[in-house]
Amino acid sequence: MSDRDKVWPTGLTEAESEEIHRHLIQGTQIFGMIAAFAHLLAYIYSPWLH
Amino acid sequence: MIYGKIWCVVKPSVGVPIIIGAVAVASFSVHLALTLNTTWVKRFLNGSAAQVSVAPTESIQPVAALTIPDTPRK
Repeated sequence: MSDRDKVWPTGLTEAESEEIHRHLIQGTQIFGMIAAFAHLLAYIYSPWLH
Repeated sequence: MIYGKIWCVVKPSVGVPIIIGAVAVASFSVHLALTLNTTWVKRFLNGSAAQVSVAPTESIQPVAALTIPDTPRK
């Protein structure tokens, strides 16, 4: 059994852990893009930073 | 992927809610602080209602100023 298939204390293998992490990073990126767009609208249409 | 193996030692059912909760609390407190410490957020969110409530008090004053005071008759 290679180290890659080892089940860690959380019950996950390295491959499973990296898959979860990929989804988390993707969610963060989508959230960040929506937040950046919302801040752009707030900058344009509100007195913020003017 | 950097830090990809973190979920081998941190249970996702614990770590993911902590991360999302931290982002939510930080974001909420920044926006709450903005609302409490500035005047323009409340005025902006009130929209035109903020101006309507001010208008009647301003229109009364000129009318009152136009009234002719009682002058003693001869």
